[in-house]
Amino acid sequence: MAVSISRVQASPELPAPASLKKSLPSEWMLTGFVVAIVVVLSILPMLRLIQEIIAPGGKLSTAAIEAGLANPATWTATWHSLVVGFGGTALAVFFGTTIAILVSLTDVRGRSAFVLCYVTPLMIAPQVTALAWLQLFGPASPLLKLLGIAPPLGSRNPLYSPEGIILLLGVQYGPLVFLMVRAGLRKLPRELIEAALAGGASRWTTLRTVILPLMTPAIIGASALVFVSCVGNFGIPAFLGIPANYLVLPTLIYQRLAGAGPSVLAEVAFLSVLIGLIAMAGIVAQDIISRRRDYRITSTSLPAEPFELGRYRILTEVIMWAVVVIILVLPLLGLFLTSIVPGYGIPLSAKTATLSNYSFVLFDHAGAKSAFFNSSLLSVGAAVFAVLIAVPLGYFIAWRMSWWTKFLNLTIELPYALPGVVLAIAALLLFLKPIPVINLHIYNTVWIILYAYLARFMVLALRPTVSGFHQIDRSLEEAAQVAGAGFFMRLRTIIFPLVAPVAVAGGLLIFMTALSELTVSALLWSSGSETIGVVIFSFEQGGDSSYAAAISMITVVLTFLVMLASNLLAPHLPNGVLPWRD
Amino acid sequence: MSRRFSMGLKLIPFAFAASMIASAAQAETIMLYTSQPEADASKTIEEFRKANPGIDVQVYRSGTSDILSKLAAEFAAGAPQPDVLFIADAVSMELLKKDGRLAAYKEANTTGFSPEAYDADKTYFGSKLITTGIAYNTGAPKKPQHWQDLADSSYKGMIVMPSPLYSGAAAYMLSGFAAKPEYGWGYFEKLKANDTLAVRGNGAVLKSVASGEKPYGILVDFMALNAKAKGSPIEFVFPEEGVPAVTEPVAIMSTAKNPAGAKKFIDFILSDAGQKLALSQGYLPAKENVGRPSWLPQDAKIKIMPIDIKAVLQRTEEDKKKFSDLFGG
Repeated sequence: MAVSISRVQASPELPAPASLKKSLPSEWMLTGFVVAIVVVLSILPMLRLIQEIIAPGGKLSTAAIEAGLANPATWTATWHSLVVGFGGTALAVFFGTTIAILVSLTDVRGRSAFVLCYVTPLMIAPQVTALAWLQLFGPASPLLKLLGIAPPLGSRNPLYSPEGIILLLGVQYGPLVFLMVRAGLRKLPRELIEAALAGGASRWTTLRTVILPLMTPAIIGASALVFVSCVGNFGIPAFLGIPANYLVLPTLIYQRLAGAGPSVLAEVAFLSVLIGLIAMAGIVAQDIISRRRDYRITSTSLPAEPFELGRYRILTEVIMWAVVVIILVLPLLGLFLTSIVPGYGIPLSAKTATLSNYSFVLFDHAGAKSAFFNSSLLSVGAAVFAVLIAVPLGYFIAWRMSWWTKFLNLTIELPYALPGVVLAIAALLLFLKPIPVINLHIYNTVWIILYAYLARFMVLALRPTVSGFHQIDRSLEEAAQVAGAGFFMRLRTIIFPLVAPVAVAGGLLIFMTALSELTVSALLWSSGSETIGVVIFSFEQGGDSSYAAAISMITVVLTFLVMLASNLLAPHLPNGVLPWRD
Repeated sequence: MSRRFSMGLKLIPFAFAASMIASAAQAETIMLYTSQPEADASKTIEEFRKANPGIDVQVYRSGTSDILSKLAAEFAAGAPQPDVLFIADAVSMELLKKDGRLAAYKEANTTGFSPEAYDADKTYFGSKLITTGIAYNTGAPKKPQHWQDLADSSYKGMIVMPSPLYSGAAAYMLSGFAAKPEYGWGYFEKLKANDTLAVRGNGAVLKSVASGEKPYGILVDFMALNAKAKGSPIEFVFPEEGVPAVTEPVAIMSTAKNPAGAKKFIDFILSDAGQKLALSQGYLPAKENVGRPSWLPQDAKIKIMPIDIKAVLQRTEEDKKKFSDLFGG
């Protein structure tokens, strides 16, 4: 998914005639509805979280903060979070930028196919990535055993280490950097490059002194985003770090909460604010750095003539496809092989291969069955609600620019920009007791997860919708308004049909993200409301890797199918809505 | 037309709320905290539901020691959640019984169970016999036969064990061994000196041994022998000097919100159907006439290590803390 924290640009529209600005009652109703949604989904949980830290139980107190600061586990986990955060970011930026430059500026062939393959890991849930990679190493790896190169008994899987976490974070988020840098490279002014080359600069010098400096804002923006994603990631450090007793803040929160339940809420609330602060520091640092110089590009022009790689072209192509094999093909192959092994350590052959793990998770295991049902319901529910809300919300943000719509947009970004555990803890605090007045108890039900998904993923539908609105000529809607159509009429007959493809594409992104989501549901699930992500995680923790692999394979296949289905929408979508389409 | 659409939008929150209420108001429910492995727990609940169609079971699954800490937190907060506990060992049950946390179920049908299997006050009932022995990967160079073998330096870096801070069977073994002069704390210090890895639960030990990451492990019998039956390269030894055994007891909480439903769960576990289910899952059921698992031949000699439950009860908390200091985590 495209996880950019985009600032909405002012559309170059002319102010509407005064007579059209008159607001109708139905429009005010909708405005109220939209504002209420944003308050409930974004502002309320954040306020509740802050209240728990500074005034637990309604009285101002620094006890929670002091207790958190005094605990050495806090500092160890914070240090680990920073290590994997910076390490993962550095790796992702290196890979993503290099590949973006190769794909955008050189004459390598087979670009669309390559981009599709390279971006796919971004669409796969982090815990599935982690599980898949784990199957590649260690003495029990079915793949290594097939090849006869499995390491001797007693050797530990090298991925159970901080280096392993950093490597997988780099693989997971490299595509994110790639997408942002590639978008920047598309706007690179051809004149500057041609001038540099004509002036006698070598291509290497041009890259170093012209192209990379111009790409600085894109690279810095991507770094901040990846840093936030890395420190907030739960799936990878949960699968690779917990067995090595290497805890980062999200896994520390999970362990405290899973071990002691709601009694430690004040403590984990402090930890989640800490991780939120680290994430925000990353974003603020990005803002400061990008303001230090002026990077504006004055002209938009044709794409630059690709650099000819000559005899290095084949070599480059081979290396690029080797990268795809390493980060996509091999892990998925490992995952698949593990999913058809009948038990631990049994060598795989045509005779021993079995589909029993699949039939177990699909038909026999009650928790897995209910997880498939819950996750489908949650991801479809979150996607449909988000699309329905995103259209009117996007309308206000894109076509009614004013100070409060900007604020609205930033607010709705917040639950997604901050790490998932922050929102999960906030939702716990909010709903641990029944909702006042209506006395509704959604804690320990699937509805608290739906709430958290909506709050967190709303922006995934909103962003494409807003960019869709910017591409639509508003005159149609104004014509309808002049002809006397009420706001809901216009919304239904003009606005919704126009932005439907983008909004639906956003909904599909939400569906894919929510289907095997783990970070939020690991903290909010209960018996009967387990999700696919949670079931994969508990199978792996209990040592049942084959079952975990079978469920993971099913989600990977589902994700591919949804990607294919979304491609059907592609002709109606603005560039960049479907991240895997070049 | 426009009005209909606006109605639709307004109705969404109501439909939402209505369905939430519908899901909140359910039929009879019991809350179960269990330490059974994921797949076994889920099968047990499924069979219980078949026998008692009106009752829905909510479950929280974790290691016994982990469940005890969760319960301690819930007691502190004044809101213990579970109706039924189904955990690894009698010592943990005794800890809870001592504090008046368990309810007696005098009418429970214990015919066919030996008196050692259940509490004389009928507050908890052992459901099976689970011993802990030594498992090793068949590809491993050595074939350990005795507990002391694992303390030998030639096993350095190759052993895995379940953490007593997570597993009840392991906590029982820890205090049982530590109280015996022939092992004592020195045994665990030697295991530590051999870089033994303590992991979260027996399932993780099984995976580690069968996959060969750590070729030797301390493990419960049924997990190793079931995996062996499925074809995993694993062998299991009951050391002749004796093996610690736990009974996987089931009990009703004195704070149960649904004691009637909880009793039905006990009835099911102690019934022939419940005991046969345990057998089919590869356990040795506590009710002797139900049968023995195929991995245990009729003439097999397994010496159960005599362990004084009262003594273990005295020292288990302190031993767990000492273990935590020694092994970390």
